Amino acid sequence: MCCSHNITEKDLQPGAQDTSYLGRIKGMQFFDPHVHMTSRTTDDYEAMADAGVVALIEPAFWLGQPRTGIDTFRDYYSSLIGWERFRSSQFGIKHYCTIGLNSREANNEPLAEQVMEILPLFIYKEGVVGVGEIGFDDQTAAEEKYYRLQLELAKEAGLPVQIHTPHRDKKRGTTRSMDIALEHKLDPAMVIVDHNNEETVKEVLDRGFWAAFTIYPFTKMGNERMVDIVKQYGTERIMVNSAADWGISDPLAVPKTAALMKEQGISDDAIRMVTYQNAITAFGQSGQISEADFIAVKEIDQSQKFSGNTILRGGQQPRMDKDSIIIR
Amino acid sequence: MPHFQPNRVLSEILRQNITGDAMEWLLEKSRADSTSFNTAFVMIPRKTGKRNISVTQQQQRDLAEYAPGLYVNDWLTDRLARVWLLLQLDSSDKERYIRQVENLFLTAEVNELVALYSALPLLAYPEAWAARCAEGIRSNIGDALQAIMCNNPYPAAYLSEPAWNQLVMKAFFTEKPVEKIIGLDKRANKELACILRDYAHERWAAYRTINPQIWRCVGKFTDEEFFPDIQKLAASGNALEREAAALACNDSSYMPAKELLDTNPELTSAIRSGMLTWDSLAIKMKEHVLQS
Repeated sequence: MCCSHNITEKDLQPGAQDTSYLGRIKGMQFFDPHVHMTSRTTDDYEAMADAGVVALIEPAFWLGQPRTGIDTFRDYYSSLIGWERFRSSQFGIKHYCTIGLNSREANNEPLAEQVMEILPLFIYKEGVVGVGEIGFDDQTAAEEKYYRLQLELAKEAGLPVQIHTPHRDKKRGTTRSMDIALEHKLDPAMVIVDHNNEETVKEVLDRGFWAAFTIYPFTKMGNERMVDIVKQYGTERIMVNSAADWGISDPLAVPKTAALMKEQGISDDAIRMVTYQNAITAFGQSGQISEADFIAVKEIDQSQKFSGNTILRGGQQPRMDKDSIIIR
Repeated sequence: MPHFQPNRVLSEILRQNITGDAMEWLLEKSRADSTSFNTAFVMIPRKTGKRNISVTQQQQRDLAEYAPGLYVNDWLTDRLARVWLLLQLDSSDKERYIRQVENLFLTAEVNELVALYSALPLLAYPEAWAARCAEGIRSNIGDALQAIMCNNPYPAAYLSEPAWNQLVMKAFFTEKPVEKIIGLDKRANKELACILRDYAHERWAAYRTINPQIWRCVGKFTDEEFFPDIQKLAASGNALEREAAALACNDSSYMPAKELLDTNPELTSAIRSGMLTWDSLAIKMKEHVLQS
């Protein structure tokens, strides 16, 4: 997913940490509709909670190397609705996911067949807000076959679809993804086309689909460009995500983009639409998102103490002072 | 614990807490083939919602008769409906029945796990779930652990001693409300007392606090090895720890412990009068927590 970029001396310098942007978005709430928390640390969860991320969607994807058996798929899907959901709740962040067979691994047909068999066990689970991320990578025949099968599955289940668009031959791959979705009679209002850029956005919006933008250094959108997109296209059916994963990426991409928008004069209401509300409206069509849950997951009582020490009744994680060399 | 059929009470409670449509749907799915049954188990919250339930005192008494310790008042509608649905499974073919329930565990999300573990004391072939229950204790998912550990009569009735000890130790370790463990006093054993004492020593060495309820599992095994810890507790600056020491001495038949208790007539009389018990200490701990 990362690093086709020519690295210069400047890129190798450590960045000074400046978190003053947090002041500009104080009190705002964010929803990151695409972030792979399985690959992230507890530091990231803490930083996201501090920056105002109240809920997120973790799409099922590939783990950096191909799986070789059905059981690892089953365990991965289970972990998205089990352990990772719990881990997220410890930081007061409501965790949703989309479930699907990603395009790369669709190319292992014998395994893909088995995965298709277990998908129905997972897509009706609570908090599963769509089928995703599915679509094209290499744009092979096998990818197309399993993309089509999963569109049918989503249609039957009444779930939104989260489409991953390819890195290479992106524009045509995006068009083709939408053509096929329409061929299967999916309502474009139920389809979120992800990883858009300046070249793809117009067609996606014109055809009535949701356009998601991934703010991801070096290979996808930068957030200065994102600000320009919002200035040009407005906020309707546009949403921002981080797609942070095991590559060099930024789980704070959504709040940082909000801060940049604020700095560049975009209204609070517009910021709210693209960093929170639109994603909820789109994926909320699953019937699985309730904003009340964002508050419930925070009702992890940090005030309760026994003998001066916090008792973690909700099971949430205590904060440690990261700047201290003392670890208790 | 004999197997029982608390179907009537649970059906009654369910009916009064969900819509007629949802009840109809559940009844239909309870008789469906296994694929449809499994999908229904997953989809339950879509039909029943997730609301608090109301249970009458009579229903509570009836349930307690079937399963002493089972407490459903804090369940939500989806949890109740899932447990009820599990009870409708045809159990005539033992192997098939066990396989079907086990499969539900394998793909369960958090709330399904909670329902599945809550249902353990109500399932057929109760002895068949001991390994599953022990496996659940290895989980680190807080809600799943709590469903096994608290207000659930299954573990005390069916777990082996090592698995039981792991449950109690892990409940302390993960700071669960241990007073809600059914059978905590009845299944106290020397091995567990040793494990908990070592844990207390570790916490002391790390300058961390210890839940005074730990000594509830130690008291009756007090001997010359355990006694120094009880003495240390009795001299604590924390009133709740001194009360725990008194209760531990009261549980013990070790003479020096009896003598230690006698040196504190105030706590002795509180215990005699029933004012001070392990349960009242648990309530006091909660109040203390809220005040500080």
